[in-house]
Amino acid sequence: MKRHILIAAAAATLVAGATPAAAANRLIVPNVAVAVAKSPMMVQADREWNRLGARPGPLAETWTLDGDVLNRLDFYGGLLAGTTLFREVDRRNRPLPKLRADMLPTDIPTLFEQSYRIAQNTSLFTIDSVAPATLGGANGVRFTYSFVRQDEDVTRKGEAVAAMVGGKLWLISFEAPALHYFDAGIASARTIIASAKLPGK
Amino acid sequence: MKRMMVAAGLALATLAVPALPVAAQEVARVRDGVTITPGQTRIMIMQPNIKVGSMSTGGLFEPNAEWTATARKLIDAQVRQQLAGQGITLVAQPEIAAGSDGPQNPVQQYRALFPVVAKAVMEFQFFLGNRLPTKKRPGVFDYTLGSGIASMPGAQDADYALFMFTEDAYGSAGRKAAQLLMAGLFGVAIAPGVHVGYAGLVDLKTGDLVWLNADPEMGGDVRETDGAVKRVGQLLANFPGTKLTAPAPAPKK
Repeated sequence: MKRHILIAAAAATLVAGATPAAAANRLIVPNVAVAVAKSPMMVQADREWNRLGARPGPLAETWTLDGDVLNRLDFYGGLLAGTTLFREVDRRNRPLPKLRADMLPTDIPTLFEQSYRIAQNTSLFTIDSVAPATLGGANGVRFTYSFVRQDEDVTRKGEAVAAMVGGKLWLISFEAPALHYFDAGIASARTIIASAKLPGK
Repeated sequence: MKRMMVAAGLALATLAVPALPVAAQEVARVRDGVTITPGQTRIMIMQPNIKVGSMSTGGLFEPNAEWTATARKLIDAQVRQQLAGQGITLVAQPEIAAGSDGPQNPVQQYRALFPVVAKAVMEFQFFLGNRLPTKKRPGVFDYTLGSGIASMPGAQDADYALFMFTEDAYGSAGRKAAQLLMAGLFGVAIAPGVHVGYAGLVDLKTGDLVWLNADPEMGGDVRETDGAVKRVGQLLANFPGTKLTAPAPAPKK
């Protein structure tokens, strides 16, 4: 019995301390090319940003101006087939859609929408526009979207550019509350997206 | 049996998570150059976001309409009384016509945006371990709801808008029992409930957040008059241009 209580107490300690210690947030200085998302993708900012220590996935990275709830620029650096856009939130009941190597650019907004609906636990997500675009010289897609998180009344707008290169997904997205924050940040986000360089391109 | 014990341990551990200690953080900040002059400065009191309910044994929030209505009435009266007592000129938020109070209403949009901005301040400026590099520089307190607020209905009738948010979840009987069980069996404390509140002042010409007070340890039972007096005292503590201070903590029994 004593051993069982010790196991339970150890489990309690483990769970209570299970929050991973995120790396420190770092300053992104303007006009310096940097590799992002633990990948060879290079981008250059036109103003100061902050790189968050917490990452949405192993090959992903988030920049923000004021905090990720107000503006976030996410980089996904060459996600492989069989992986997901985000870390699973409920693998058993609501698994995230997996990437396929043969995905077309037009498949990317659908994967993005399905992933957001699950990860953000919201039914209020729409893809508002889809158009051809290039990312780092690769043919891809630009799409805009909007959504409302389940626990908020704020509408967020987003814009993303993505491409499949060598069977891997490369994607940069910017999103912010529609009120003030999207318009305040989108110009710098577009500059960064336009600066992207992908390996082999 | 062993599996049951471990499962029980994990379940109790989940209950214990909210009891983690609050890391070092600031609780309030005033933007440089803010001038609030009693008798001159006009402040619009935005309808506070108030949620009151109970917390289930598993930690889920269950809203209680009656408690929320009571708290709204008591907090509103206290805010007006405490600020008017400091000579602040108060302006009411414009009435929102029935049927036009949806998410597209500009007043509702700013009421919805304020908690998001406040959350960013608390997480990325006040919380020292997670402060953004661009927010670390001395004197920097640079958050805004956007200059578009100047065209919000009623904005021209006041200099600043006061936004408030409170959320109180009082532990259910089951949660209180779990609290005693955890303390007795494992010596681990679990939070009996959640009591969160913050207040912010926004410049109605620029949209800049000029003051935010977000003490993470809110006291006062907002369902009762005395508790509301204490809660509002905490929310308005060190309100710029006034002599309002945080109420003294209750003596420990």
